[in-house]
Parts: sequence; C-alpha cells; structure tokens
Amino acid sequence: MNLSIEQVGKRYRGDFWGLRDFTLNLGPGVLGLLGPNGAGKSTLMRILATITRPTEGRVLWNGEDIAKTPDGLRSVLGYLPQDFGVYPNLNAVEFLEYIAAVKGIDGRAARQRIDELLALVNLTEARKRPLGGYSGGMRQRIGIAQALLNDPKLLIVDEPTVGLDPEERVRFRNLLSDLGGERIVLLSTHIVSDVEATATDIAVVDRGRLLAHAEPEALLSGVEGRVWEWVLPSAELPAARERWKISSTFRRADGVHVRVVSAVPPSPDAVPVAPTLEDAYLSVLEGHRAERLEKVA
Amino acid sequence: MSAPRVVVRMVWHLLRADFLERVRRYSFLVTLAATVWLGYLVGTGKLQLWIGTVRGTFNSAWIATTMALVVNTFLSLAGFYIVKNAVDRDRQTGVGQILATTRMSKPLYTLGKALSNLAVLGSMIGVLVVAAMVVQLVAGEDRRIDLLQILMPFVLLSLPMMALAAAAAVLFETIPGLRGGFGNVVWFIVWTALIPLGIQVGGLLDPFGINLVNGNLERAAAMAFGPAKRGFVLGGIDHGNDPIQIMRWEGLDWTPDLLFTRLLWVLVAAGIALAAALFFDRFDPAQNRIGSRAAKKRLARANGAVEEAEPSFVPVPAVRLTPLPEASRRFRFLDVLRAELRLLLNGRRWWWWAGAAGFLIATLAAPLDAVQKIVLPLAWMWPMLLWSSLGAREIRFDTTALLFSAARPLGRQLPATWLAGVALAMLTGGGAAVRFLAARQWDSLGAWVVGALFIPTLALALGLWSGSGKLFEVIYLVIWYIGPLNQVPAIDYTGATAAGLASGMPLVFLGMTALLMGAAVAGRRWQLAG
Repeated sequence: MNLSIEQVGKRYRGDFWGLRDFTLNLGPGVLGLLGPNGAGKSTLMRILATITRPTEGRVLWNGEDIAKTPDGLRSVLGYLPQDFGVYPNLNAVEFLEYIAAVKGIDGRAARQRIDELLALVNLTEARKRPLGGYSGGMRQRIGIAQALLNDPKLLIVDEPTVGLDPEERVRFRNLLSDLGGERIVLLSTHIVSDVEATATDIAVVDRGRLLAHAEPEALLSGVEGRVWEWVLPSAELPAARERWKISSTFRRADGVHVRVVSAVPPSPDAVPVAPTLEDAYLSVLEGHRAERLEKVA
Repeated sequence: MSAPRVVVRMVWHLLRADFLERVRRYSFLVTLAATVWLGYLVGTGKLQLWIGTVRGTFNSAWIATTMALVVNTFLSLAGFYIVKNAVDRDRQTGVGQILATTRMSKPLYTLGKALSNLAVLGSMIGVLVVAAMVVQLVAGEDRRIDLLQILMPFVLLSLPMMALAAAAAVLFETIPGLRGGFGNVVWFIVWTALIPLGIQVGGLLDPFGINLVNGNLERAAAMAFGPAKRGFVLGGIDHGNDPIQIMRWEGLDWTPDLLFTRLLWVLVAAGIALAAALFFDRFDPAQNRIGSRAAKKRLARANGAVEEAEPSFVPVPAVRLTPLPEASRRFRFLDVLRAELRLLLNGRRWWWWAGAAGFLIATLAAPLDAVQKIVLPLAWMWPMLLWSSLGAREIRFDTTALLFSAARPLGRQLPATWLAGVALAMLTGGGAAVRFLAARQWDSLGAWVVGALFIPTLALALGLWSGSGKLFEVIYLVIWYIGPLNQVPAIDYTGATAAGLASGMPLVFLGMTALLMGAAVAGRRWQLAG
C-alpha cells in the first residue's frame, strides 16, 4: 500500500499556485498535515481525493496514476472534506445507505456497517432524525461516518475535529490512531494537539510547498535545547514580542510566563524547557520564512 | 449621523452590495445577452406590435413602446425568476446571519432587496433603451431620435411593472411556502391570469399597460385608416395576402390620469416590498410559520435534537469496526437506483401521494381523448418540483465532494439519477401508457415513451448546467403551458395533439432528449474536472 505524490502543482486563476513542486511518499500510518490557513492543505487533500486534477506532476496509488485511473483509488477511498453538505430531509441511516450504494457496498454489509458507524460516532439515538435538524457537531460526525463506510485503505480527513466537543474530539483522535495501523490516514488540520495525539508522521506545509516531513520525534529533536521559558512583568511583554518569536504566554501571579523558540537564551533568567510539537512546528515555519526573506534580500 | 441619513445609507448599501454581487456573476452576462436577443427580435420584426394589419412607422415612440410592452409581458415573467434569489443568497452564504445582528429593520431589508431587484431589471431595461435607438437607426424609416419618446415608455410603462415583479419576488422569498418551486408555479399562474385581466378590464387592473397602449393605438389606427374591427397582437404574425398598413404614431399622451395609474403600481410595489417584512424571518432558522402539523412535529423533534446535541459528557462504550469483507465491495446498479428514487421521493407528504394516485386513476378511467389532451399533461406537471432537483441537488446541498470521490460517478450515479426521474414519469403517467397499449394507439404510446424520457433529461441537463432547479421549473412551465395544454403541436412533447403526432414531433423530442443527455454528461464531466 503506497501513495506517492510526485512534484505535484496546482495553479489557480490569476497565476496563483495553491501547491507547487510537492513531493511525498506515504505508507501505512497517520500523516498529520500541518500548515497555516491558505498553506495548500485543502488543495492537496482535494487532489488526493480525485476531486481536483493537478496542473503538473502526478499522484500514484500503488503505482497507478490517479488522474488517469481514479476509480482504482476511489473504491478504497474515504474522504471527509472541510466543507460538505447533507440532504436535510434524509435521516442518518437513509443518508449513509445512499452513500453506501453510490460507493458500491453490498446492501446487507452496508446496513451492519452503518449500525457500527453510528454507534462509533455516538449517533445511534439520533439515527432516525432528519439531518436538517442536526447540530454542526452531529453533522460533522455523519461526515466521519460516511468517510469510513467502505472501510477505506486511504482515509483523507480535512479539519475533522471542527465543531466536535472535547469528548468526541478525543474519541475521534483515538479512532484515527487505531485506523492508522493498517491503512494510510491523512489528517489535515491547524490544531497541533490533534496531530500530536495521532500522527506517526508529520508534514509541514506553507505557501503551497512542503517544508518538512519527519516523524514527530525527529521534529522535536530539531528544537531540543532551543525552547526557553522565563517570567516577565506585563509591561515588558510588547517589547519581548517584537524581539522574539513567542510561541505561548500565560499569566501568573509572578508575571507573564513567556515561551520562546530561539538558538540563544532570550534572557539571563530564561530556562530551557522540553519542546512541544507546537514549538517544533513554529520553528520550521519561522526557519523557512527567514530563509525566504534572506533570499529576497 | 441623523436617523434618516442612517436609513438611506443602509438601504443604499444593501442595494449596492446585492446589485454588485449579482452583476459580477457570469449568469448576469447571459441575462443581458438574452435581453439583447429580445431587442433583436423587435428589430427584425419577429416581435412586433400590430393593430390588425396596422403598424406604426419605426420612430422613437413606436419602437420604444413596442420594447416597453415586450419588457412588461416577457420580462415580468422571466425577470421575476431571475431576481427571486436575493434573500436566498443571503441565507445560503450566511451573510444573512451577519445582517440579522445589525440594527437594520425588517422593512428596510425587504425594501432594499426589492430595490436591488429593480436595479437588476432596470439595467436590463437600460440595455433595451440603447437597443431601441440602434433598431430605429438601422430600420431607417425615421432616423430622428427623440430621447424623451424613447425614455417615457420604458420609465412610465416598464419600470412600474418591473417594480411590481421585483417586490413580488421578495415577498415570495419571505413566505416559506412560496420560496421554492411551488412559488415559481404560483407566479406563473398569477402572470397568466393577470395578462388577460389587464387586457380586458384595463385601468387600475392593468399593470402591464397593454390595455392602455391598445386603446390608444386602436384610436390612432381608426383615425388613420377608418374604423374597423382590428385585434391587438404583440408577436410575430403572418398577414398572408392582406396588405400591411403603416401609420405615424407619436406616442402616448401622458395625462395626469395616466401618470397616476402608473404611479399607483409603483406604490403597490412599495407596499408589497414592505409587506414582505411581515413574513420575513430575519434568518432565524427556528421560525417556521407555515407547514403541516407533521412538519411542525418534525421541526420540534429536530430542534430538540439540537438542544440535546452537545451533552457535557456521555459515556459511550468503545466500538470497534468490523473489517468490511472484500466480497461486500460489489457495485449493484439497482441499489443506487433505489437510493436515488428514495432521495427523489423522500419527504413527500400524504397529499402528494394522494394527488399522484388521483392522476394515475384518472389516466386509467377518463375518456382516452381527455387522457391524451388534459389528464396526462396534468399528471406530468404534478412531479415537476421533484424533477427539478435532478442534477442540481449535489450543488444545492454541497454533497459533490462526497459523491464525486466515489468510484465512477459518471457511469453509476448520473445514470441512476436520470433513471429515477424516468421511473417517476412512468409511475405518474403509467395509466396513460396502459390505455394507449389497450387501444393499440402505437403512435401515442411512442409519444408517451418519448415524453417520459424527455422531461427528466431536460431537468437533469438544466439542473447540471445551472446548478439550480429554477431554470427547469421556468422552462418546463412555459413549454407545458404552450405545448400540451394550449395544444401547440411544435412544442407538444406528450403527444397531446393529433397534428404533433402526425408531424413526427415525438421524433424531434427524442432527438432533443439525446442532445440534452449529451449536455448532461458533458456538464457532469465538467463538474468532475473541477
């Protein structure tokens, strides 16, 4: 089972490239795709889900170009788009039966699968209610259920935890970790903690380009010894913000606790702390942006 | 800023933003092209004012009045459908939710939307003002452009009618039962009822201004060529060997009485726009004023679902998914067809089924001639609002990403959608087929088959290319009204007329069905290509 993305690019109107020269090779596991808004994550997801054709490059699923033979991938694909709709007059079971039929799943197997999926996403009790009356979180869970209907070998989920309550979010993270063992799961999000909890690999994307692809441990080791924390009086925070790339702040009785990614200690009082994935992600982004600015200069 | 200035500013910006949003869409260019085509029809004499065999010299007054009446009759129908999406757009885009949180009052909103609708229709009239001048110069019968005579008919005849259509569109959008396809049917009925009423009664019941112009032209024709029984026609007409008489006509005499009748319609339009505020829900999804007890129950249940949707903590036993056996991954076309049929028929209330059953029984029991001429056309009007979802449903409910990422969406889901539409036609008109078969009327049976294929194909193609069911609803209503119902053989797609059958119209419609199917496949291909 292999998904190979080879120098893929997508150009939109006005000569704007949503994705450029993107290369990545994936095997079973959960790939967390991290990047700021507009980085090109959703473009990549849509290309992999055979919704959008790349302008250049190719994507191979087990050696087959998905632009030429999309159905080979589609029969084993589960896709949860960032924005999607449902038919408001159908209930959950009817809607999933409809999607199952379109995906080519045998009727009896589909019914059993739907029962399991509705239990999994905690919608068994709401199964007979029209989807038009569902809350945003419930609708998102229907989206998750439809993506898993055909027991996909490639599962693509774009911002899947949007609208979910904390309990459902944790449950979905666990589910993704379970699923990742025997299939390829692509999780696109800008919520670093979701990736931290599930991903076996991480790809950082910005401005349509792949900045880093590594295991979480490798990313973390890249910032080992470069994350600092110290306490500032509130009045000095604006000056510190201008000087350092601050990854987080929190106020305490003794002042503002500031966390910074930096090669050198930002203050004599600063102490090194264990890095988080968020620190590593920000470090990759900042490193790349600084490099780009240097090139421009 | 003073309160009146704030109000004016609000209405102005509501109008401006909505107007700009609409005119920057490609569909507006199509609308303008259709308007230019209307001007071309007038210029080439295909749409012409006739008082018997009398027409006016092609001067400013005659051409502008002709075009103003063309606007009032055709654009009052088509224009209503074009602009009946202003409130819906705010609902769909979510902008309405933002507007609802501002200080803007409901009457201001509905008035602003009506003005925006009028601005869109007014811009189409503006195109025709230019077209009128071009037509006059090209025709060359009188090259003296009289700007006042050009503008007066458009401003005083057309704008009040357009204001009425613009305000009615907002009213229909604010009343839940009239928002969708049913409202489109209702406007068509209102329109077909108002035209003869206006022509016959005139005065304060003539928003189209046809009676007004007709009376004046009759008198002018009588003065020019003597009294005679003439008829008023707005359209293309073949006078055969009768000689065409041309008179010089310098336009309507705009007396205060006439001005008052036209101004009255502007006031009525403003009243309708303000009345719409009474029904406007201010984008509150919890409001549902119209609906059956069952619908209200369903809504209450749904609202209940929302309230109990996000519990703080509900312990749920861990569920593990059973792997799907490979053998269960086998596509069955019948499963998709069944699912598409269910999607098509889902949510129909008892009265819909009762109506469909009534038509089925009527097609089985009524005299064969009546079945052919009336009952079958009516039976095939009943499911119009279901067919109108074909091809457009995926865009409307934003399910394209889910469906197009499934295997072979072109070869599986699209044919199933189409066949579900055909099955619906066969179900609702099935009684007629049995009767034709029993009577061995093979030509009628053939026409029935073509009709059952043509209607859903038309719906599918138009739905796919327009992304909405409205275009099908409008076009189908018009061809249904002219063809089968008014027995015009050239548009008889059900075999309702003997002349249509004899001249091989079913074959023509079969050919059109094939073309439309090609268009539908191309449309879906285009959607799939992203």
